[in-house]
Parts: sequence; structure tokens; C-alpha cells
Amino acid sequence: MNGVLEGVDMNDSAGTGESTDMDPAAAAAIISEAGGRARDTFQPRRRVTFTIWGVLYIFGYGVIWLLTRGQHPFRGPMPATFAAISLIAVFAALATVEQARSETGLRGLSAIRRRGFELSVLVGYGAMFTLEGALARAGASRPVLDVFGAATPIMVIGLLYLARSVTLPDWPVAALGLWLVIVAALSGYAGAQAVWGIDAIAVGPAFLLVAALQPRRHRS
Amino acid sequence: MSEDELNPVIHTPARLRIMVTLATLHDGDDLSFTGLQDLTGMTPGNLITHLRKLEDAGYVSTHKNGSGVTARTSVTLTHGGRDALDQYTTVLQELLDSARHARPQTTT
Repeated sequence: MNGVLEGVDMNDSAGTGESTDMDPAAAAAIISEAGGRARDTFQPRRRVTFTIWGVLYIFGYGVIWLLTRGQHPFRGPMPATFAAISLIAVFAALATVEQARSETGLRGLSAIRRRGFELSVLVGYGAMFTLEGALARAGASRPVLDVFGAATPIMVIGLLYLARSVTLPDWPVAALGLWLVIVAALSGYAGAQAVWGIDAIAVGPAFLLVAALQPRRHRS
Repeated sequence: MSEDELNPVIHTPARLRIMVTLATLHDGDDLSFTGLQDLTGMTPGNLITHLRKLEDAGYVSTHKNGSGVTARTSVTLTHGGRDALDQYTTVLQELLDSARHARPQTTT
């Protein structure tokens, strides 16, 4: 014993109310109930995470598509504004999920791995927007920047999901990651304006579908 | 086989609940004292009492991080504790199976 529990006020433990008379059926019921409750609490809140991502893509990309549709000449969204809004939205989404997770009291390797994934998302997005700035500086046109700006965030998150989920394995999420990579690679061929609408329709509902496939929590 | 073969350290509702809760953690993870308290529904005093017994048996380990008001106690299941719980559930399953087989068949 390392002494952590020594010297603690034990005033309310004079009687633990502990019953040692427990038949096997009662023990089995406790194992089932306590195990189920703990698993519900500790399992990642991926239903929430995927729903947030899905809504972000549908509304974010959808709004940009509506705003830029029919522009002549094409100007697209302001790259700096789009980058700032995207990073804020992603940060807010990750912070929301992280806050919910921290309330369970779970610490250790799982939390470190999760934060590593979240950090990878932010680093990937930051690098992508930095590269977009370099492309603009090198003389890339607005349509080229729009195709890049629309597709690469999806490519980043798709590759991260794919890499993480195939090692678990988690096939619905692996399929989502693969789908995101395919959409990111192909949607740009539709052009600078249509790419936003196609990505909104192809990516957002895919996240919502995978969210719906996640097991329901029995306890909030 | 009788109930006497069930590990007496684990075979109480509160300690069984603690052990099963901690057994759901992955290797390398631990749970805060307050998190364990929320999941087991026990008072701090009761939880400390039972954790002491489990810690004395080598089934759980506790660690205190930080100091003063920011101190935080975390709890985790040891490998010995996980083995003991596995053995407990094996014996329990055999007891349940034997009771099921010993039950008289009803005829219609």
C-alpha cells in the first residue's frame, strides 16, 4: 500500500453497509450492471463527434456554395476568413468533445492517444492553410485556391480517420475515412464553385450516417 | 463447488462493483477517485474503506498526483487484480451453471 488512502477522514465509513451475503445470481447481476455502466461512460462519444463534423460540413460548405454560386467572375470565399472560421469551428468541436470526456475522470494512455489525434487534426489544418497561402503567393488563381481549400480539409481528416481506424480495427470509420479521401480527390474535378456543394452533400451526410451507426449510450 | 470458493476479498457488492468498473479500463488508463465514486454511487468514506482492502490484497493501486487543493487521487486495477477478477468470474460462472443443471426439470 502506497499510503495514498491513509490519513483520510473516515467519519462516514464507520458502517459501510456492506453485506457479505451475496448469492451468485446477485453477483452476476452486479457484474453486468456495473460493467455496462462503466463501458457506457468510457466509450468515446463518437456519435456526438461525427454529428458535429457532419453538421459543420453540410452548413459550412453549403453556405459557401450558396454564396459563391453564379459568381462572375468567380471570387470564391475570402481564404483568410475561411481559414479562420474553419479553425475556430474545428477547435470548438474538439473542445466540446474533450470537455465531455474529461468529466468521466478517465486518464492515461487512452486520453493521450485521443489528444494526439486531435492535435494531428489541428496541425494538419494549420499546415494546409499555410500551404494555401504559399500557393496564392506563387500566383495560383482563385478557382485553384478554392478547389484546394475545399478538398484538402476533407483529405486531412479522411487520412487521419483511415490511419487510426484500420489499426483498431473499426471498419465503419475506416470506410468513412476512405470515402472522404475519395471525395476529396475527385470532387475538385467539378470546378471551383461546384466543389463546395458536392463536398457538402457527399461528406456531411456520410458523417451523420456513421454517427447513426455508433452504439447508443445507455447513460448520459 | 461451493460459494466458499469465491474470492472473499472480491465477493462483496461494493468491492465487486469497484473491481468490475476498473476492469473496463484499458491498460495504461486510470480513473479519478471522484469518477469511481460517481460510477459506483458510494460515499467517499465507503469507497476509501473498500479501496484499502483491495489495495492491501494487491488488486488495485492508487496514486496521488499534485499537492494541496489540486491533488488528485487516481485508481487503477493491477495485473494481479485483473487475474483475480477473471478467476472470480470463472468460478461464479461454474456455480451458476451447476445451479442451472441442478434445477429440477418442470414437466407440462
